[in-house]
Amino acid sequence: MAVCVAVIGKDNSPLYIGGIGNDNGTDNELSRQWLVHTALDALEERLATTNTNNAAAGTNTARTDLRDLYLGLLYSTDTHKISTSPSGSNIRDAEVRTALRRLHALYADAICNPFHLPGDQITSPKFDKQVKSLMLNNV
Amino acid sequence: MATQPSDSTEFPPEMIAKPLALVGLSGLDAVNNAVHRAVWEAFSARRADRTVRFKLLPNTFEFPVVKPKRNSYEWYIPKGVLKKNWIHKRVALVPALVVIFYDMEWNDPQWNEKIIECASRVQSIRAAVEGHATRVAVVVVQGALAPPPSEYMLGAERAQALCAACEIQSKALFVLPHNDHLMGYIVRLENAFYDIAQNYYHHETKNIKQHRDHLNKTTHQYLFVRHQFKLGFLNELKQDLSTAHKHYLHAYNNLLETRTVDTNMHEVRTVAGYINYKLCKLLFALNMARDAIAQLKSHIERYKNRIGPTELLFEHYAWIARQYSAFGELFDEAIRAGLPAIQSQHPGFYYQYAAQFTVKRRQAMRSVCAEASEYPLPPDPLEGIVEFYGQRPWRPGRLSADPHDPQREQAAVLALQYNERTFNHSAVVISFLGSAIAQFKTFNSPRMRKQLVVEMADEYYCCGDFGKALTLLSHMLWDYRRERWWGLASHVLARALQCAFLSAAVQDYVQLSLEALSRHIRVPNDDKERIFRNIIAVLDLEVPAPEPELPPSPQSAALEMWRATAAREPRAVAVDMANISSVLEVKPKFTQLKYRMDENIEIEVFVRLSFDAVLVVKNAFVTMTSQTETVEIPITEDGDHITLEGGKVKRLLCSSKCNYNDNGSEIAIKNITFVLGDEKKRQIVMNFKMEEFKLSESAIHPELLHFIQSPKADYEFDCIVPSTVAHVVARECRLAISVSNQSPALQGEWFPTSFSVANGERGAVRDVRVAVALLASPDNLNPETVTELALAEAAPQPQPLQIHADCISQSAVFTSTFYLKTNRTTTTTVQIKVSYSIDLPDVSKLECVKEFTTKITVVKPFEVSTNFVAMNFKPISKCFIDDPLIVMPHVKILSPWDLLIVDTELEVVDFFKYADEGKPKSCISNLEVAENNTAVDAICVQARYKPKDAPTRVGLYNIKWRRKSNADGHCVMSSTALSGLPIEECPISVEVYYPEIVELQTSVPLKCILYGKSSSPVRLTLTVEGTDAYMFAGYKKVSVTVPPGERVPVCYNIHPLVAGNTSPPRLKAVLTDAEGPAQDAVREMFDKSFPENIFVMPKYKK
Repeated sequence: MAVCVAVIGKDNSPLYIGGIGNDNGTDNELSRQWLVHTALDALEERLATTNTNNAAAGTNTARTDLRDLYLGLLYSTDTHKISTSPSGSNIRDAEVRTALRRLHALYADAICNPFHLPGDQITSPKFDKQVKSLMLNNV
Repeated sequence: MATQPSDSTEFPPEMIAKPLALVGLSGLDAVNNAVHRAVWEAFSARRADRTVRFKLLPNTFEFPVVKPKRNSYEWYIPKGVLKKNWIHKRVALVPALVVIFYDMEWNDPQWNEKIIECASRVQSIRAAVEGHATRVAVVVVQGALAPPPSEYMLGAERAQALCAACEIQSKALFVLPHNDHLMGYIVRLENAFYDIAQNYYHHETKNIKQHRDHLNKTTHQYLFVRHQFKLGFLNELKQDLSTAHKHYLHAYNNLLETRTVDTNMHEVRTVAGYINYKLCKLLFALNMARDAIAQLKSHIERYKNRIGPTELLFEHYAWIARQYSAFGELFDEAIRAGLPAIQSQHPGFYYQYAAQFTVKRRQAMRSVCAEASEYPLPPDPLEGIVEFYGQRPWRPGRLSADPHDPQREQAAVLALQYNERTFNHSAVVISFLGSAIAQFKTFNSPRMRKQLVVEMADEYYCCGDFGKALTLLSHMLWDYRRERWWGLASHVLARALQCAFLSAAVQDYVQLSLEALSRHIRVPNDDKERIFRNIIAVLDLEVPAPEPELPPSPQSAALEMWRATAAREPRAVAVDMANISSVLEVKPKFTQLKYRMDENIEIEVFVRLSFDAVLVVKNAFVTMTSQTETVEIPITEDGDHITLEGGKVKRLLCSSKCNYNDNGSEIAIKNITFVLGDEKKRQIVMNFKMEEFKLSESAIHPELLHFIQSPKADYEFDCIVPSTVAHVVARECRLAISVSNQSPALQGEWFPTSFSVANGERGAVRDVRVAVALLASPDNLNPETVTELALAEAAPQPQPLQIHADCISQSAVFTSTFYLKTNRTTTTTVQIKVSYSIDLPDVSKLECVKEFTTKITVVKPFEVSTNFVAMNFKPISKCFIDDPLIVMPHVKILSPWDLLIVDTELEVVDFFKYADEGKPKSCISNLEVAENNTAVDAICVQARYKPKDAPTRVGLYNIKWRRKSNADGHCVMSSTALSGLPIEECPISVEVYYPEIVELQTSVPLKCILYGKSSSPVRLTLTVEGTDAYMFAGYKKVSVTVPPGERVPVCYNIHPLVAGNTSPPRLKAVLTDAEGPAQDAVREMFDKSFPENIFVMPKYKK
């Protein structure tokens, strides 16, 4: 079951961290943040290796490469990176990919808001609601 | 009472050490005998990949007593799984092989005695190892010179005799010659011993295997484990790792099958841990890292739920932690031995698990050991010797499930709990975390490492080392802040603030509090009010209110420390605000990018206080640096203090005068300082360093901010782009410079330009110096090379020209002239730089500079082209040697000014000469010309000889000229190269004499003289080409020979028949005995020489 979705900006700052869980207590939220933050290590490593391997090959190859290395972080586009948390991911690869694609679409919608400042945290309640329903659908 | 060991779960050293075959060396006197010592040292020298451990056996060494052989296991019930002394016995006490060293030469005179002594030694060793299957070997130590026995009949015989006497096989007898190659012999001996040892261990394994048939599963389950473990270990001694692994695995699986109850739980899991350790170690050694990891995982999985008695739950967690940390060490060792590891699988994770389970262990301790406040009364239940690994000292060797002595059992549990309570968990956690952090750092996981560091800091906090915790946390805070993970940063900051409070670290406390008020940081209970009050309290030298959720005992100690700090110096706390996410945001701005020297430098400082409170700033200043100095400019407002209101942006102004030494240099805002608090109490000095600011503020997009629904004040503040660098420029100069000249200048002339400097300053200017220099421009990169400057005509001077004018009084004008001569037609840029000093009311002798540039176009005065004509003014394209021709230079005037051509001359090149005697006079001397006029000169020259290469020019045409207006000025000499004319040779030259005008019907002579020009006689055939207009008399066709250097006249009479312009008859010549170019030349020569026309006058009839 997906428990947490995070959108991380280019400079590794969190744009959005949403989690569903039994409680929304501070500890729970904090542990989610730790989890996402430490997952960035793996993401960075992954990106570094793929970049050296296919410097010229563009995003598509990078994406397939990332999919093969399945450690919870999977997907990358030019402007931002999306990772799933590695905890308890029993979802199959394809499902995660679709979910992430939808998340990407939601993200694109959210930042199209002219009142959103790029690089700021995403505060849109609509985005939050949609992402949470996305996570629940993946149960 | 035994104090708690560092950790009861630690693996015994014999379990960790690598098993090596044991070989005993006897008969070596390493103390007194030099040879023996050398041999022993060679054996004991450490080699990396050794498989054998050598032990020096003294004569008194006693081998362990052999247990009586058991014939049947029928009534035997094992008391435990693994005996504690067995491994030790194997690796240290019972050698696989005892080697007896004996000094003896084959040709020893006392051979018989020696052989008997040696045999007796062997016998005594045999007796000592009685019952063990230990092998015996003999090494005969011999002098260096003894030949090997194979080449030495006596040796072979005596070796055989020795074997027989000692009752050993011949392959157990070795000879060690003691010479230079000792090490080589030792290595070979070691290998031989190792072979024997392997043999021995193989034999031992066979023995153990035989026992199996006697065992049954119901009563001997422990023996299944024990025997398999022994087999594994013996195979390890044998260095047969895969077989060893197989047996250990059997042992492990057999152990799994044993029934576990609370009483034997500890023993089973202890042994399981050891076997698992051995398994993993072997898997790593066999390069099967994945299997090792899988083994550990399944191991933990299997034992995770076998927790044993709940009152000793902490032991279970301690055990798990130990499993992880031991595995981590194995993993780490394997990596150091060359195993590649990756970011997602490395020892750090296992150390981390170990730390986590140690934390759980502490939690378990807290929940179950609350009662254990005292160690039980003697007798100490933990005293006692245990024969088996993992058994309890208070009930050794008992297998029954129920405790036989409940009281003792209870006391023992209490003792364990008490020990656990006094155990320093934090130290263990910190050491595990330390190992994990090092690993995560190695494997490129900086963020994981940071999290662990924060955990480590928490652990330091737990054990009361607030100073260390604070250090770690402040470093981590920096990173989280930089990546803008405010959630994590808030968490870290809250803990750091607790530490700072508890350790009464004023500096850190103030800095963290200021950061806690920032809008990015969330504080527990949203209690920023309290934090703000705390800052004020610190300023007033009071004790701040404690942070929430502090442990009570250090809290009271902290309050003491806070009271003590009040008295301590220094009272001022400097905080570097640029690095923290601050409650106060500052943006400075120079109002202009350039300040003139006589202007005030104005700096706007925008301040936003994001916390909703009123803050009184006692003192504020801007630190500005320039080339020469650093100044602090105070920021003032009406009244003494600056009052900042929460949520509002305040614009402050400060200004300063320029330093006159900074002319032309850069000034920069380095720092802005706000001081809070009273001098008499504590002060907080907030430094906003601008260099570091710049980096963080790079992403301001004012245009995007238009859309943001933020407070108006915020919008304005966010839009401000700080400007921290400005330039100081010279004050405006009130000198006027004007230039007058008759541009364009002509190429090559000394062109005068006069300039005047008018003093418009209020007062006299002194020390006026004018420098005239040439400036490079894209089309004239090195003007100095083509242009000369002078103060007087035709007296070039080094550039730039320096003119000293000393003093120009107010409103006076200083005038001067300079000359410029350019050899290139281009635009020349001249810079006139006037530097002077002036006394102003507020500064004396201020240096000022005024620059002025003027452009001077240079044009050509004229253009020279050339025509060549023959003596009859017909254009020609080539000439013959000695044949005169006229050079006509055309001088086309381009100058817009009228010129006077003073004189001209043609300097001919070597192969031409003037055709007239002496130098001809110029035709155009003293000629006045205007624009677009063309002056034409004519000079008659003739070729002297034919040069090797085609001539490129006839010579230099020098024109001496000047401007007409400049009557008494210098003349300019301009030289132009005139283009060349091909010169050809002709074997003869021809002169034709004829009258220009004749009368009709009157005979006139036409005389033609041929000159021989070549070095040989020239034979010509001459023919006359008659015309209708003339009759002629003479040979129609004749052959002539012209000798070299001679002349041959040919004469004809011609008689015109018609009047008017007529063509006279012409002579044509053909060389009789030559062809080619000479022929053509002769023909051309004749064509050229004979007249085309003769005018015939009609005859008047008288």
